[in-house]
Amino acid sequence: MSQRVAVVGAGMTKFVRRAQETGKELSAIAAREALASCELTLDDVDAVCLTSAPDAFDGVHRKGDYLSDGAGAWGKPYMRTYVGGGSGVFTAIQGWYTVASGLADVVLCVAEEKMSSCQPHPQAAFITIFDNIIERPLGPNLLWIFALEMQRYMQAYGLEKRDIAQVAVKNKQNAAGHPAALLGQADITVEDVLASETLAWPVQRLDVSPISDGAVAIVMASEEAARRMTDRPVWMQGVGWNLDTTYWTNRDLVYPEYVENAARMAYAMAGVDEPRKQIHVAEPYDPFDYKELHHLEGLLLFDRGKAPEAAADGVTARDGDLPCCPSGGLLGVGNPIAAAGLMKIAELFWQLRGEAGARQVPGTPERGVAQAWGDLMQVGTVVVMGNDGGPLTTATASPPSELRATALSESEFRSATGAVEQRLDTLYDWDAGEAMGAFLDGLREERILATTCVSCGRTLVPPRKFCERCFRPTDGWTEVPQTGTVETFSIVHVTWDMRPLDQPQIPAVIRLDGTSEGGFLHMLGEVAPDDVQAGMQVEAVWKPLGERAGSILDIRHFRPVDPELRRELVAVAAAEVAEPSKA
Amino acid sequence: MAVRVGVAGVGWSGFAPTTPGVSYKELMFEAARAAYADAGVDPRTEVDSFVCCSEDIEEGTSIMDEYVPDQLGAVQRPVHTVASDGLFGLATGVMLIRSGVASTVAAEAHSKASDTVSTGRVDRFAMDPVLNRPLGLNATTLAGLEMRRWLHVTGRDESECADVAARNREHARSNRRASYADIRDPSPLFDPLTREQAAEPVDGCVVLVLTEESKAPAGAVFVDGVGWSQDAPSVESREWDRAAAAQRAAAAAYRSAGVEPGDVDLAEVDDTYAYKQLQHLDSLGLNDLDPDRVNRSGGALGEGHLREGNGLARALACIERLRAGEGRVGVAQSWRGVPSTSAAVAVFRR
Repeated sequence: MSQRVAVVGAGMTKFVRRAQETGKELSAIAAREALASCELTLDDVDAVCLTSAPDAFDGVHRKGDYLSDGAGAWGKPYMRTYVGGGSGVFTAIQGWYTVASGLADVVLCVAEEKMSSCQPHPQAAFITIFDNIIERPLGPNLLWIFALEMQRYMQAYGLEKRDIAQVAVKNKQNAAGHPAALLGQADITVEDVLASETLAWPVQRLDVSPISDGAVAIVMASEEAARRMTDRPVWMQGVGWNLDTTYWTNRDLVYPEYVENAARMAYAMAGVDEPRKQIHVAEPYDPFDYKELHHLEGLLLFDRGKAPEAAADGVTARDGDLPCCPSGGLLGVGNPIAAAGLMKIAELFWQLRGEAGARQVPGTPERGVAQAWGDLMQVGTVVVMGNDGGPLTTATASPPSELRATALSESEFRSATGAVEQRLDTLYDWDAGEAMGAFLDGLREERILATTCVSCGRTLVPPRKFCERCFRPTDGWTEVPQTGTVETFSIVHVTWDMRPLDQPQIPAVIRLDGTSEGGFLHMLGEVAPDDVQAGMQVEAVWKPLGERAGSILDIRHFRPVDPELRRELVAVAAAEVAEPSKA
Repeated sequence: MAVRVGVAGVGWSGFAPTTPGVSYKELMFEAARAAYADAGVDPRTEVDSFVCCSEDIEEGTSIMDEYVPDQLGAVQRPVHTVASDGLFGLATGVMLIRSGVASTVAAEAHSKASDTVSTGRVDRFAMDPVLNRPLGLNATTLAGLEMRRWLHVTGRDESECADVAARNREHARSNRRASYADIRDPSPLFDPLTREQAAEPVDGCVVLVLTEESKAPAGAVFVDGVGWSQDAPSVESREWDRAAAAQRAAAAAYRSAGVEPGDVDLAEVDDTYAYKQLQHLDSLGLNDLDPDRVNRSGGALGEGHLREGNGLARALACIERLRAGEGRVGVAQSWRGVPSTSAAVAVFRR
């Protein structure tokens, strides 16, 4: 039987748009504050767990090794884990299993992100998260896929942007009470969100959390060690994590099953069988406002499609029946990706000790849930934490207290000594592999090929050599029609580095006729943006034979099957792929 | 009493300088299928957690864990990435099982080194961006610097390093996974490091299935000890004359396994460069181990270097030897290569 594990200390830097401090320095600030909060030193720490999201942000290969001394890992067992945006909450899970396994008594968990190093825009780091063979040539960016998912969620439940925008308002208002927050704003309104710049419809600027630099650290201890350190341990009651298929276009984006799976795992460990009664405070992941709602449903705290209604009724307000993101979340405090996830764990720690000051939820919360999410809208990480019950101790001070991290303006950064500019100019020549290679050969011949699995009966585009559900080789090839249905779409108004586009692009997930489910990412053309609807029938438009090269771009775009809907070409299939930074 | 962790299955694929027409996903699928077959488990229902070891810039893909679940049978299951060598993933598997959150875990690491055209640039981006990178040095320069210092401090001779390279390549002749048994090239690379004393990259994948003792097959090899540690990442403040992290990792692994170096019957240690094998044996307290019981597989010098998969390749070779009855206690050790100073050690017992 594993030993109980408690969080006994936490600390964080201020979240800022561009920190003067290096990633190592941000890590050290957070780690020192977390240790100081429980009156420990590095000598008391048996192992260090670290997380940070893509190396491409920092332009440092093996970023974990690079950050190790800043995280306090010199001479210690040290490991970096990650699951994209889910990493921050996962680091608490890593800390938990490091202690629960009996291999350490006291563990320091550090989550760092310094996004501002990536120029000209941190979005550059995200270009390389997409499939190297069939998606990157389309020039996608992160906003696209979230817009596609948000659109699907809104369409499925008949939601208006106003229903979504209220989350951004709540969280930015909550963050006004957080001393480390980047975007707290007490007087923000739904109208402000609705009036903000449209980036990729339905995503507007104030629907999105800000790019940020920052670090967070927590200290975990075995029960015996924790009892020596504090009379207010906050217990890690349950942990869960779950990763869905890479083929994100093959699943229905309306509901995050992987979050539900992770939540069920964590709830089972915590003995939570009625989460709506037994969870008293929640910190769901909110990089976009719709994601908080999406995740609250995945966490089984509201019925599917009902979280917006609950939010409108004030249920999720800080003084509501189920306070959600009392910290202000990523939308308000900021989103240094990995650090933002661990910030949620730190917030629960403070809330469950009664130390959250202006952010403190009313009553005597005994149990909370924190959750993060990431990858290709694919991973859920969940932690359930709880105190020993009874009245909360009245805090004399409200952490975080050491709010270091120096914000630099762009001009200050450019004029500073040490603005070292380097290009991550690595070059790759990927093998497409047996299955994808045959698919690309088919495109050259104006054919769309799929693999089939006789065990589950599915016809798979993109094709693969294996069926991920049955875990067996696929059985053969078939050609599928070149027509399909728009599952979801976005009207994109900005480039990957946030420059306005002259003409909007229309990426869509297209379910091809004859396939079992989902489809793949491509562009719509020859259609007016206002005429595009989910469910619209489309057909492939090919490049001429001599121009086809065995690439996803051999399909120039998809256009409406209905000639009445066709217009002069208003959106090109392949955005010019100005890929500034190979991962 | 800690739960004992056994090796239920092993699987591998590739181990070739290039694997044209095969994607990294397909390499992983092949190795995973072999490991699950060896373990007699269905990953969709009987593997509780999956650990993959990779680094983004090595792969050319940011957030690499996005691209691993399908080919491992891990869709909608607990999966996470350890951004390190595969032996750290094995240690993670041990922790997951001992914590009680999983009873069976798959640990995976792979290399598709042939996809990377500019390997030197990848390694260079592991160097400090402010102090070291502007010098424009190949990262392997650090191996030449370290080898020189280590020879100077220990009084060892370059010929001993050459002997290691020759012996490992000779060992590799009987290893079907080996691609580099016949390399003989004493030309200087980063003097005193020579070309034949540096491992060449290969493509391949290794998957291990770990399970709690109650589910381990009869005669299983057990992972009785794991340890890992970190030295200074900075070139300016690291120890240049010993593998301090490997020493600490070994001490932890021996302690948790309840063994002494004298109990070890065979070892598979990191030999990315020939001098590192000698340095690592010293750190592991295994200088007296019969040289024919060290890297009998040929090591990375003979098999080829699986990048972040190298530690699992060492573990795989060790487990195979123990399964074959060539000893009772085996040790596998990894180092992540320049400019890293991190190391991991696993103690296996049959």
